[in-house]
Amino acid sequence: MSPRIPSTIAQGLLRRFVAGATILLTAALSASGCIQNRHETPAGYIQVDIETSPTSLDPRFATDAISSRLNELTFDALARVDAHGVYAPSLAESIERASATQIVFHLRRDAHFSDGRRVTSRDVKFTYDCVTDPASGSSKRAGFASLRNTVAIDDYTFAMETRQPYAAALEMASLGVVPNGTPLHRSGASPRGSGAFRIVKNARDDRIVMERNEYVANAPDAIRGIVFKVVPDPTVRALELAQGVADLAENNIQPDLLGYLGARPGLAIIKSAGAAYQYIIFNFHDPQLRDIRVRRAIAHAIDRDAIVKSFLRGTARVASGMLAPENWAYIADVTSYAYSPDAARSLLDEAGFPADATGKRALKFVYKTTPEGVRLAELIQATLRRVGIEVTIRTNEWATFYDDIQRGNFDIASMQWVGINDPHHYCLVFDSRMTPPAGLNRGYYSNPEMDRLVEMGEVTLDPEKRTQIYAGVQKLAASDLPYISLWWQDNIAVMTHYIHGFEAYPNGSFASFADLTLTNGSGAISQ
Amino acid sequence: MRVLFRRVLAAIPVAFGVATLTFALIHLVPGDPVVAMLGDTAAPADVAGMRHQLGLDHSLVSQYASFLAGIATGDLGESISMHARVSSLVAERFPATLELAAASIVLAILIAFVLGMIAGADPGGAADTGAMGFAILGISFPHLYLGPLLMIVFSLHARWFPLTGRGGISHLILPAATLGTALAAILARMLRQSLINVREADYMRTARGKGLSAMRALVRHGLRNALTPVITILGLQLGALLTGAIIVEMIFSWPGLGRLLMTAISARDYPLVEGCVLTFSITYVIVNMATDIIYGIVDPRIRLE
Repeated sequence: MSPRIPSTIAQGLLRRFVAGATILLTAALSASGCIQNRHETPAGYIQVDIETSPTSLDPRFATDAISSRLNELTFDALARVDAHGVYAPSLAESIERASATQIVFHLRRDAHFSDGRRVTSRDVKFTYDCVTDPASGSSKRAGFASLRNTVAIDDYTFAMETRQPYAAALEMASLGVVPNGTPLHRSGASPRGSGAFRIVKNARDDRIVMERNEYVANAPDAIRGIVFKVVPDPTVRALELAQGVADLAENNIQPDLLGYLGARPGLAIIKSAGAAYQYIIFNFHDPQLRDIRVRRAIAHAIDRDAIVKSFLRGTARVASGMLAPENWAYIADVTSYAYSPDAARSLLDEAGFPADATGKRALKFVYKTTPEGVRLAELIQATLRRVGIEVTIRTNEWATFYDDIQRGNFDIASMQWVGINDPHHYCLVFDSRMTPPAGLNRGYYSNPEMDRLVEMGEVTLDPEKRTQIYAGVQKLAASDLPYISLWWQDNIAVMTHYIHGFEAYPNGSFASFADLTLTNGSGAISQ
Repeated sequence: MRVLFRRVLAAIPVAFGVATLTFALIHLVPGDPVVAMLGDTAAPADVAGMRHQLGLDHSLVSQYASFLAGIATGDLGESISMHARVSSLVAERFPATLELAAASIVLAILIAFVLGMIAGADPGGAADTGAMGFAILGISFPHLYLGPLLMIVFSLHARWFPLTGRGGISHLILPAATLGTALAAILARMLRQSLINVREADYMRTARGKGLSAMRALVRHGLRNALTPVITILGLQLGALLTGAIIVEMIFSWPGLGRLLMTAISARDYPLVEGCVLTFSITYVIVNMATDIIYGIVDPRIRLE
């Protein structure tokens, strides 16, 4: 028989454990400076939570959304897009079209890099030369394919010449300018810029710290700096806002957490119209999807109002096309597809896909998505099943999904366009010459009338004629359905009550951060 | 010493196997690092130029040979997406992951010893039921749920610890607890079972017969003999701990190797993925070697054998 170990030993051990744990916890709390009430950012700074690290802080390389938004704060560009998708002078004080192929920019004379040097046309030319040089390996080079030449006419006059009349040439004017001679910074360092802020720290996957460029004038009560903290988890971003650690987050809070945050004292939610466009793309290599009746049936089968109301908690507007209503070229008068399963069934019958006794039809499609898009995919799958279409969902991480889309290895997918400013984007996505790798026509859509219109839009400089051309493009896109328009995502900013001066841009730009002010002149919040 | 040398030699083919598998897998999955870098509208000539610059236009066999030659000389190459030496990037991030993993192991061992001993000292008693109930909860909670839960309770409401980021001890406690809870639960259950087994052993009866108190007999004689299977599990669980670190680093915005690996995979940054996976694997091999050495310290019979 084994010796009896009394249960009092267990109790004794438990008591010792509780005592030990208390001591350890107290030590840890003491080491941490006790209770975490303090704001982590210096006075006058705000903390903005972002979801991912920028890929590059050099404007000659940055193409992803977060890099572009941060670079807007640290670099000046010749022109910047406004809330209506119109390019307005920025580093340039005036812009003139000298000829059908030449644009002349007259630079401001008060622009200074953060080391005090004046910004001249030599800096601008150097920046453009870097990007267009094949040796630079810049990911932006493709966007400058229509640029023939650049000239620094004098210290404050710069000209760019295009290969042919190119209506969207001003898109090329939004490149951030770096000082003449700046080496290529591909490894995460940031060159000096002439924007409102300069970068003082870039710790990848942790934070980017910006402080004011002392050579750029600002209001006395304006913020002194910004800490962009990388917080990948959306729930944790919401918790940081709720705790008062983060001061602001824009377009990266899940809709179902907005109610919780809205109920927290000291937080404000600012909702405004956004231009991020969610759509369903079809692969026109599939003979069944080439049938317009099938595409229209799918459009009728999807209850977009319900999706926006329940799935997105009302944080979007049902879209009629790629351009949001705030864009100068937008028209509302296009074919729309009301939710009607009956209409969908009739169209499918008419297309030669009758339902069998169980309601199923000889229509099976593969829907490719990423883990983030699975919930929407399941909604679409359920809604199409009601009209007899079977959808198989294949989920892959982003790089694999993107590779499949690039190779046309899908039937249906849902994707998003962010930052569409000029309607010439239609040419990139619907022109039959623009199939990968030449362009972004990933569905291999081809319609001679669409080709004619979008190609005309590229070379027509007269604004009124362009408006008419793109009205035709939008009508044709809505009736021919290379995409099914789902929604335009609203801009949602959650911020602490003491921040003022925030202005939402439909394209999600952080441009107004330069003008933010604080009620109490400090980024600190006492709790 | 000879045993250690043999172990090190045995680790070489393992590392080679891991390197080969990593190379094969990352090149097999779809995705193109050049498209990720230059965008999908880049001119074919630019794409070809970049492929050449990165050596991606060589045959896979040739790339594999260069990769192995690089490893042999300690050169993991240059990151395609971050344009920095892979070894520097790994060296920059690995301490954060090691810190997190070490803290999790320490926390897990502390919790496991206390729970395991409480439960093993009085199997079937109230303390055993409570401790094992806690252990089952610990195993059942996925990191993705436990992390935010701990944040809400101990950071948002109690305000004891910061929510995210890397800093002092206070920053370490919640992520270490999230990562270490499952391990603690497994170890606690293992220790409990081992203690129950050794309770029946002759040496325990002898120890009590010599006049040792029940607790002294348990701690001095029972615990040491119960440790061997616990150490085995600890070594094996390190793989799960390192995998879990990737998720925990994402939740707690912890700038470690796991997040670097995730970024590298998204960008199809072949050298960086290979460097990160190789580092994780070698760590795993080293820890298992350390486990074997600890066996010998804890139980001299194993050393003799």
